[in-house]
Amino acid sequence: MNAIFAIAGTTLGEAIRRKVLLIIMMVGLTMLILTPAISSLSIRGQHDVLIQMVLGILKITSAILAVTLTVYLLPNEVERRTIYTILSKPVLRSQFLIGKYLGSVGALAIMLVMMTVVLLVAFAIQQSAWSVSQLMPIIQPAFLLLFQMALLAAVAMFFSTFSTPVINFFLTGLVFIFGTLMNPIFETYVTRESSGFMSIVARVAHYVIPNFGSLDISSGATQGGQVMRGGDLVYMTQGMIMALVYIGILLILSVLVFDNKEV
Amino acid sequence: MALAIRTEALTKAYKTRTRRVDVVHKLNLEVEEGEIFGFLGPNGAGKTTTIKMLLSIIYPTSGKAEVLGKEIGNIAIHRKLSYLPEKPYYYEHMTGKEILNFYARLFNLRGDDKDKKIDELLEYVNLANAAGKPISQYSKGMQQRIGLAQSLLNDPQLLFLDEPTAGLDPIAHVEIRDLILRMREQGKTVFISSHELSDVERICDRVAILNTGRVKVQGKLDDLLRGGRVEITAEGVPQDLREKINHDGVIISQHGDRLIIDAADTIPTADFIDAIRAAKGTIVSIIPRRKRLEDLFVETIQSKDDVDGSNG
Repeated sequence: MNAIFAIAGTTLGEAIRRKVLLIIMMVGLTMLILTPAISSLSIRGQHDVLIQMVLGILKITSAILAVTLTVYLLPNEVERRTIYTILSKPVLRSQFLIGKYLGSVGALAIMLVMMTVVLLVAFAIQQSAWSVSQLMPIIQPAFLLLFQMALLAAVAMFFSTFSTPVINFFLTGLVFIFGTLMNPIFETYVTRESSGFMSIVARVAHYVIPNFGSLDISSGATQGGQVMRGGDLVYMTQGMIMALVYIGILLILSVLVFDNKEV
Repeated sequence: MALAIRTEALTKAYKTRTRRVDVVHKLNLEVEEGEIFGFLGPNGAGKTTTIKMLLSIIYPTSGKAEVLGKEIGNIAIHRKLSYLPEKPYYYEHMTGKEILNFYARLFNLRGDDKDKKIDELLEYVNLANAAGKPISQYSKGMQQRIGLAQSLLNDPQLLFLDEPTAGLDPIAHVEIRDLILRMREQGKTVFISSHELSDVERICDRVAILNTGRVKVQGKLDDLLRGGRVEITAEGVPQDLREKINHDGVIISQHGDRLIIDAADTIPTADFIDAIRAAKGTIVSIIPRRKRLEDLFVETIQSKDDVDGSNG
């Protein structure tokens, strides 16, 4: 375990110093701060639109951060030869991989918390909403967003064991988009058509591709200013367990591929 | 003497679209414990590939290899060995001390023992004063020394050093060479892959020369370099005598009034000296020269023989 935490700590330390990630985060933060001004122009209820918009920005920024951070994790180690000195020590490849993953998720968590804190402050000032219950529609989705991003990082980690960063970027992006749209796709092809080729494909995809949509409670959180499904602890717990199971499976697959990979 | 490394027909092949390329072909190596072994060859000869196989970073296509008496792939032996790759990179945001702390944790070193070991090694590689500086501010020589320090954290029995002196200035070069010699004094086995033939000649006990993935020559350096040349410098040598001296294995060159005779030491050069003196010539100097490793290297690489040699 000492080796895993040592690798995770180094990965985290390096990630939070990467300029490209800081730039992405600063762009996200700027948009989060500017959003209240934009949302005041909306003809819909300002409160709901504001929450939807900021959570959307938070999600997109986090997803870009997660993918950018993770797709280069392994290739950078090989290119810079740091992996050789590490693997020549009594370190299993699985320990190396899990350490890298935990480090990147740690860095993501720090960035996500920072953005969420800025968002909460901006939201509280704009809406004069300082109580925890008023801020819960942001806190709960942001908390689940961390699980989404951890899952996305695991997807990128898996692809990075056998593909180049560019291909990985697109593959992970595709999985994220399909995973986010999983519920409407499943609804269209399975619920409405109970048979046929597309129905089978949708059923298989439903089990193989992680359902990022089920970890997104931002729409439920805004209805009537009250927490809807997000307030349901069981629903959130199910989502988190689902994410952890997928992360576990993806890490096992990553280790299996990486164990046989020549670096 | 026990063997630190033994390979038997170790092969690494890659498939291209049209054919199979053996980067390392049926490699038979034996490295004894406590020696400094030079692993030589031109670029692309398969040196680094071999080291990576021995460290289980890549996997052999066929053949066997044992390191410290255990088959490669056994992670337990990694506690007793270390590796310094060519042009290593370290996490630049870390200081020298943090780097050593990181690698020490990979060996599961903890607490006071770990701190004591790190301080000792920083002293050993003469970096105690720079321990708090970020690696990004280290010179190449300092980076190489911190690399050596990380490779000594576990007090290894066997060290793999890939081009340890490449790109270093002369002072850093000498420092690293001295550190390697000190490792031998401590009873460690050092396996060096290098293009710096003068270094190898000075510090290695045995060498193997590899070309196109095949061992061409392997043996004790003293045995391999036996059979050198003699350089005789003389003045006032008559023209007819020059013609008598000039035969196979002798290279004659004229520099003003001086004649330089460069002859293989198998040729009876004493006869030349007697003849020059008899012709009233003057012997200025007689310098016996051992065959240089560079000569052996060039001969071996240019030779078309494909022998998996083992000369000792």
